[in-house]
Amino acid sequence: MNVVDLALVSATLTASAPVVFAALGGLLCQTAGVFNMALEGQLLWGAFSGVLFSHLTGSAWLGVVGAVVTTAVYALALSVPAVAFRADPVVVAVGVNLLALGLTAFLMRVLLGAGGVYTSPDLPGLPTFAKLGLDVPVLGPQSPLVPLAPLLVAVTAWWLARTRSGLRLRGVGGHPEAALSLGLGADRYRHVAVLGAGALCGLGGAQLALGNVTLFSEGMSAGRGWVAVVAVMLGGAWPWPVLAACLLFGAAEAFGFRLQGLGLPQQAADAAPYVITLLALVVAAATRGRRRLLEAS
Amino acid sequence: MRTTPTLALLAVLLLTLTGCGGTTTGGTSAGAPAAKSVILITPNPASTNSFLQLSVKGAQAAAKEIGASFKLYESKDPAGIAQNVDAAVRAKPTVIVGVSFSFDDVFATVPRQHPGQQFLQIDSCAKDPAPNLTCVSFKEHEAAYLAGVEAGLLSESGKIGIVLPIDSPFIHRWIDPFFTGAKAVNPKVTGTPLYVGGNTPFSDPARAKAQAQALAGQGADIIAAAASGGNQGVFEAAAEAHVKSFGVDVNQCPQSPGNVIDNVLKHVDVAEAAAIKDIAAGKTGGVKVYGLAEGGVGVNALGDDLASSQCTVAASPQVVAKVKQARDDIVSGKLVVADPLAG
Repeated sequence: MNVVDLALVSATLTASAPVVFAALGGLLCQTAGVFNMALEGQLLWGAFSGVLFSHLTGSAWLGVVGAVVTTAVYALALSVPAVAFRADPVVVAVGVNLLALGLTAFLMRVLLGAGGVYTSPDLPGLPTFAKLGLDVPVLGPQSPLVPLAPLLVAVTAWWLARTRSGLRLRGVGGHPEAALSLGLGADRYRHVAVLGAGALCGLGGAQLALGNVTLFSEGMSAGRGWVAVVAVMLGGAWPWPVLAACLLFGAAEAFGFRLQGLGLPQQAADAAPYVITLLALVVAAATRGRRRLLEAS
Repeated sequence: MRTTPTLALLAVLLLTLTGCGGTTTGGTSAGAPAAKSVILITPNPASTNSFLQLSVKGAQAAAKEIGASFKLYESKDPAGIAQNVDAAVRAKPTVIVGVSFSFDDVFATVPRQHPGQQFLQIDSCAKDPAPNLTCVSFKEHEAAYLAGVEAGLLSESGKIGIVLPIDSPFIHRWIDPFFTGAKAVNPKVTGTPLYVGGNTPFSDPARAKAQAQALAGQGADIIAAAASGGNQGVFEAAAEAHVKSFGVDVNQCPQSPGNVIDNVLKHVDVAEAAAIKDIAAGKTGGVKVYGLAEGGVGVNALGDDLASSQCTVAASPQVVAKVKQARDDIVSGKLVVADPLAG
């Protein structure tokens, strides 16, 4: 079997897309000076609300809209305590994540009438490019949300570097006092960043539950939000490095699957993403350390 | 929603239990001091798992039949299991039922401390069981073999695959006999298992789907799903790649009509109800093993309701005939399916 081929690239994109959306949200918050560890719970809420609204409206796209809107609202659970009342964002995030786990399981029973896994042949999923008439390799089996993820990374990179509001967001995070002296209310920017992260997690969750698969299962975010948190740290909260980190994880996952097919034990293939994380952290720390040394001398 | 009462009960129990077990007052207690009662403890919330749901159904049915009240204690983690067992022992029911290997630890010690209390373990058995612990286990490998026979007969490419949560000895009961059965009818068949792995291997449909896609990419035209909560992901991948799949534990054919050949069934409700009635009648202790001969495991191809099961094997009567032949051979002892756990 060929280990590296176009199918591997395609599998990498599929695996990465939800993580990229969530990591982009985490990046916005980090830039604004709020450590957002609640990506996992918001991703799960996004997946649930995407399926719920797709089920209720009969349209996967309205499902996506529902996921974006309600996950942004759900992000208030982080932004109000952490930004307005100065609570420790890590503590709040733990609550937000646990609440999502319980709330989605409970609402699934009440609203969808199913426990464990909800699926139905009538549940509309996102169309693939192949279904939309664009049957090309790599992109063909993907939903339109998959290329939207790197596109949003590009937009964010431009926004943070070239626009007034983007630079202000960075100022609010990097030098709150300086920003305040310019008359910038840090809280307003931080609220927007956290709610924006919620909306992005909504997109990621919708892609996971309506694009990658067409179903909702309890706890289906399955650690992807945590991978996003790590990707934000690994990429130093810069858009392109964060995207690279997400793709690295996606590739490690897809590659691990392939290695299993070649006879590598599952436990070893499973460890691949974590080995890569450790290596990347070491390399990143080493290069940053050297740069710091150079700057000092 | 035909399961509304059950769901409502589950919801109430979830809210009252939330992790710490303790003192639930749910259920349908008769009130009389000597009244019979059955307490079922699950290792995870029952809603997450069709197998646990079936075990709840079986215990409820048995309790009704022997005129006992029924209570369900759901656990969320190993600590919750121990606390729920504690609470159950204090309630002094006719029998305390624990489902799965997660009870091996607790049921190795607690029954000895309470010799007057009857315990029943489903789907596994604590080491060196006490006289007041009855065990019910299944020969999943016999049913997996029959599914393999179907796969071997129906595969055109000669490549079959199966997606599983993790690579553990118990899980191999679904893998090895499946491939053995396929090879028995078609020696050229090659089988590949792929494992979901990751943070939540038993409930990650997205990763399960990716694994199934990898198998389809290798040319497998039958990809069995034994990935627990991830099965639906396998069915989706099978439908998209125009290949066929198998389900497990319960009839999963209606979940993906036209894409699922058959299921490796475990009639936990039947076996559990029989064991509870036995214990209530005073026949306690020992390990009861349910295989094809006892009707504890099977495939939909052998069921009376095959025509309405939505399983695609119904369209291949010659395959069904071969499966029945294999079943008869296993039941008569002419054919012995090797148990991967015994090796």
